[in-house]
Amino acid sequence: MSTQAAQRTRRVQGTRRKAPDGVLLLCVLCLAGVQLTRAQIPTDAWPTYHGDYTGRRYSTLKQINTSNVKNLTLAWVYRLNLSRTGAIVGGEGPDTPPSGGTPAIKSTPLMINGNLYFSVPDHVWSIDARTGRELWHFAWKTRGGDHIGNRGVGILDNWLYFLTPDNFFVSLDAATGKERWHHEIASMKREYFSTNAPMIVGRQVIIGVGGDALDIPGYLESRDPESGNLVWRWNTTPRAGEPGAASWPNEDAMAHGGGMPWIPGTYDPELNLYYLGTGNPQPVLTGRSREGDNLYTCTIVALNPNTGKMVWHYQVTPHDTHDWDAAQTPILIDGDFNGRPRKMVAQASRNGHYFLLDRATGEHLVTKPMIDSINWTKGINAKGQPAHSPAKDASVPGTLVSPDTSGATNWPPPSFSPDTGLLYVGTRQAYSVMYLTDTDERPQGWAAAERGVGVVGNALKAIDYRTGNVKWSRSLALGPTGSQGGPMGLLSTAGGLLFGNDGGGNFVAYDAATGKPLWHAGLGTNTSNGPQTYVLDGRQHIVVGAGDTLYAFVLQP
Amino acid sequence: MPGSPQRATRRTHGIILFFVSFVTFVSFVAAGGDLRAGGQQQALTAPADTAAVESGRELFVNQCGFCHGPNARGGSGGPDLTRSQMVQEDENGRQLGEFLHVGRPDRGMPRFDLAEAQVKDVAAFLHAAIYLNSNRRLYKILDIVVGDPKAGEAYFKGAGKCASCHSTTGDLKGIGAKYEPVALQGRFLLPRGRPPGQSGPPTPAYLEKTAIQATVTLPSGGSVTGGIVRLTDFEVTIYDKGTGRIRSWLRNGDAPKVTMTDPLQAHVDQLAKWTDDDMHNMTAYLVNLK
Repeated sequence: MSTQAAQRTRRVQGTRRKAPDGVLLLCVLCLAGVQLTRAQIPTDAWPTYHGDYTGRRYSTLKQINTSNVKNLTLAWVYRLNLSRTGAIVGGEGPDTPPSGGTPAIKSTPLMINGNLYFSVPDHVWSIDARTGRELWHFAWKTRGGDHIGNRGVGILDNWLYFLTPDNFFVSLDAATGKERWHHEIASMKREYFSTNAPMIVGRQVIIGVGGDALDIPGYLESRDPESGNLVWRWNTTPRAGEPGAASWPNEDAMAHGGGMPWIPGTYDPELNLYYLGTGNPQPVLTGRSREGDNLYTCTIVALNPNTGKMVWHYQVTPHDTHDWDAAQTPILIDGDFNGRPRKMVAQASRNGHYFLLDRATGEHLVTKPMIDSINWTKGINAKGQPAHSPAKDASVPGTLVSPDTSGATNWPPPSFSPDTGLLYVGTRQAYSVMYLTDTDERPQGWAAAERGVGVVGNALKAIDYRTGNVKWSRSLALGPTGSQGGPMGLLSTAGGLLFGNDGGGNFVAYDAATGKPLWHAGLGTNTSNGPQTYVLDGRQHIVVGAGDTLYAFVLQP
Repeated sequence: MPGSPQRATRRTHGIILFFVSFVTFVSFVAAGGDLRAGGQQQALTAPADTAAVESGRELFVNQCGFCHGPNARGGSGGPDLTRSQMVQEDENGRQLGEFLHVGRPDRGMPRFDLAEAQVKDVAAFLHAAIYLNSNRRLYKILDIVVGDPKAGEAYFKGAGKCASCHSTTGDLKGIGAKYEPVALQGRFLLPRGRPPGQSGPPTPAYLEKTAIQATVTLPSGGSVTGGIVRLTDFEVTIYDKGTGRIRSWLRNGDAPKVTMTDPLQAHVDQLAKWTDDDMHNMTAYLVNLK
């Protein structure tokens, strides 16, 4: 054991009295990269946003399975404690917290050495995974910015990393919650705000910025885990003379073209490629000042994580004009395709289509609509891309579009089970009217207003990864005004289960093969993050957030 | 070309536009609107000193507008200043003033000798313009009545099959006076929930006559019908008009039997059939029913 590792072990041990030394050392080594290179979620930890690098959100655990899930029962509840009393406080903003309602838990907690780590905007907690009791709470004094959500934290060795709405990249001591440093990564005055969960790849901490109120450029960064200093930056849109520049009319358009990397990507250690879905172009709802495909917005890209250089790209929405970012998880699938094994990447995309690509080359394999109400394309082009129909852009008297700007699905993480070969995704079918409000030849920001019309049929769908065909579909809850819910965080397991919600405030365990609900808990609020699972003290736990509360479930002994 | 009639007109127009936008913002705040609702919360705030904004606008239009456009979005040769990182990150004219003092002569941008107060006013105008670009809650929908009312009438009576349920002398009489065009367009597409502009406290959506209805067949053989509060795989909850109570039943598979009717099914089915032209024509037709 190196001196450094020994120090880390001792430091971690300070707060984890119960675990034997050997286990701790092993876990520390795991976190140093040994286990993270495996394309499978560990059974005794959930060390990264998706659990592993594949984005499948599939666990090999089967202690809880289709035959005993009916005995699942509540282990503990943790309700968000936002009070600064007793919290470790950081940040450069005023002492008075911003007004506003209670935030929802959108982060997937990490579980490491018996502790859970999760976040909402301006707050990070560590809680005891056995009891749900708080170990520490870090509260950030914000300068402002959009507090729409925070996807979670990243942990490398004993250091925790997260982003704030006012664009600080912050590192804490994971054992104590004490701040180590913070760095500003983007300007609030340009309406950047940060929601992403840092991804650890090797010794790199990969983070992305967000923002869509002004026409600002998107970028992904790798930061040094010790100093927090910039290692590389990848601009999601080209600059003059760079590849892709021809898909923009001029330098100004591409340098203000958006493409925010909202959501953590996935990683294939063998190919050493980092997969990311980029955000929509700016201005959001009109393409008047940005004729062309607008690369690399609404695109699945493969980057070399050592250099930040792009290796291949596939654009799922050329010239988007409806706010349909392609930030949905690019899920890595190893399996059969047309009779031979292939390494693939799949995305259930916000524009209403399912995509399957070869992830070594970016070769297009499948495109298939996921919902019935799509009315904005001229069909699928030769490259497998939905063809933009200018007639369905926002117009002054209004354009009736489906899906609406929230899309057929959204950021909540989907799941793929290698046992069933099915990709699970919560879908939504809504119509809205989009009104062009900015008729200037240089429109700005969103440039249009949206008025919702109605929701006509949301469903949890199981998609055959090879064809895009829907194997089963389950309608979500119905309310007085129509279908409820839609996009949702999902988890599949080797126990034959799929955990998600029903749009009606129930947390549900479905039979992953058929979609039949086998167990549910009436939480009263739809789940708001990706469910996760791990074994602790020999018992498999299922942990999920719904609104301001985190719930843990175990089998009745 | 200071003082040219064309410029003066454009300036006046700009001032009016800005004033309208600002009034919209003020009334929005006065109405107790929650800027956080709907997902957008902003770092930028509304301009505090509207007099400075107006004074800055005049200065800008006269001194900068020719190259950068009267709305600062770029003009003959000059870049869009509302997108400029330097301008966006400027603090109360400080960085802008430093820049103007030097200019960028190599790229045709002369230096400007403005008093500090003038620079602050120009900065206030630019920051106000950036704020209005960024806040989509303040965007104003333009005139949407562009369709052909005669074509709308034909669609109403023909292909749209509207006349099979509605009458312009009956339930739709005076509809054009009842709603603003945007609200009217939304209502004829899908008149879900409480109509806009109604007085009194909000009522639950399941009480509206447009609410989706469920009939629950009881094991005893009887049935209860009412607006759906919630229907899931595990429960059915409805408003029982007969007793004025909310009633619920747990569901186990298909028991108890639940059948649904949507009073707006024809509207829902029509959503996939509308062309935007048909929709605009229908709006033009209905707004005239006053």
